[in-house]
Order: sequence, then C-alpha cells, then structure tokens
Amino acid sequence: MSKTVDARGLACPQPVILARKALLEEDEIVVIVDNDTSRHNVTRMAERSGCTVTSETRADGTYLHIRKSAPAAQAPQPQVDEPTQGPLVVAISQDRMGSGDPELGAVLIRSFLHTLNEIHPLPKIMIFFNTGVRLVVEGSPVLEDLQTLQRQGVQMLACGTCLGYFGLKEKLAVGEVSNMYTIAETLLGAGKVVTL
Amino acid sequence: MKTTATIFLFPSVSHVLRAESLLKAKGVRCKLIPVPRSVSSDCGVCLRVARKDAGMAAAALREGGLPVLGIHEI
Repeated sequence: MSKTVDARGLACPQPVILARKALLEEDEIVVIVDNDTSRHNVTRMAERSGCTVTSETRADGTYLHIRKSAPAAQAPQPQVDEPTQGPLVVAISQDRMGSGDPELGAVLIRSFLHTLNEIHPLPKIMIFFNTGVRLVVEGSPVLEDLQTLQRQGVQMLACGTCLGYFGLKEKLAVGEVSNMYTIAETLLGAGKVVTL
Repeated sequence: MKTTATIFLFPSVSHVLRAESLLKAKGVRCKLIPVPRSVSSDCGVCLRVARKDAGMAAAALREGGLPVLGIHEI
C-alpha cells in the first residue's frame, strides 16, 4: 500500500517538502492537494525526479499518484553532476536592466527581451524573481515578447513568494508560478546562468 | 524582402520615450525596440510601427514637435 501525504491546507512549499520526504522512503506515494499551485509544484518536482504522475480530481481534493518509473530511479536529487550539460537559464532579478538610472533601466529591459527573440541560442528557462515578476503580469510592457519566447519553447518560472509579496499572484499573464525549490534546482542544475 | 514595418530614429532615449507616449496617446501602435543592426551599429533604441501606420506616426511626431533623425523600412 502506498503512503499518502495529505497536503491540503498547506502553503507552498510545504506540499513539495512533504512529497519529497515521502519519496525518499517509498517508491509509490499519493499526495492530496487542494490548489493548482501545489498540484503544479508537486507534479513538477516528481517528474523532474524521474517519477510518473497521474492526477485524479475528487470532491475533496486532487490526488496525485506518484510512482518512481524505473527500478533504478533514485530518491529525488537535484541533478548537479554535470552542470555544463545543463540548460541555459536567464534569471531576471528586477524589472529593469542594470542598477543605475531606473528610467533607462526600464527601456533597456524592454530592448533586451525584444532582442532575445531575435538571437540564438534561446534560453531554455527564464526565472523571474523579486521585482522581475512585474514583467510577467498583466500590464507588463514586455508581455508580448515573453509570450513569443514562450511559444518558441522557453519555459518561464515566476517566483510565487515574490508575486504574493507584490499582490500580483492573480495577475500572472505568462509562465507559471514556481517555488524556491524549483528555482534553486534550476539555477544549480544549469549549464550557464545569465543574471540580470 | 517585403518590408512590413517602419522604424523611427530619435536623438536620444528620452526622445524615444516621449515619442512613444505621444504615439500611444494618438492611438498609433508602436513598439520600442533596439535599433536593428542593419540600420546602425549604435547601441540605441527606436520605435517600430506597422508599415501602414508610418504616415500617421510621422505626422503625429511632426505635430508633437519631436525631432526624427531617420525613418527606415525594415
């Protein structure tokens, strides 16, 4: 019988922590969540750890059936063994480019994100945190460029803590809400990180 | 290659920002982009408007007294 983790009513990143712990002990677990963010984050953690996830919606919550897919599958560990093989990650830490003049910085970030669509290689993942999350919400001047990048396969992660801090969680317009586990794993598992 | 857009060059970033506000107020869709390499190697920004709106944009900028350094089709 598989272990069940009841993560209903728990705030991010608690569901991910509990699920990860359970996966260290069991090959097959069920995680019950009650919101989309938890469902996404637990699913992503499990899939990145080489597990298969099936989701079942019931009246009292979403049941995530998580199973390690191969006998050789190890307990979830960040993949940091060969960082140079990892993806190109662009980390956007503010809604401006550079720390000098704010008005100029706002122009430069628009110019930079437009240019990303025209050059190669494209980043594999873009992470937005601190005031950087203002770029991925409704009303952002760079939404069109980010949406184009996303259509080209660039994955966008927005720091959920930051969106919450600025009261922007409901206004996310591109990418997905993420947590510090995924952000830290993505940064440490990257082949190259470009930070703005 | 058929051109689809027209870019307007200005003397400074401040002019670009003023021109952008002006065009937006006049209902002309425009986008602030880096000056394309084919036009200049300067590290500058410019405004891009749809080819069909170029006449309207030029008129609005003239009316608003904004100096335009160059107009290029891209």
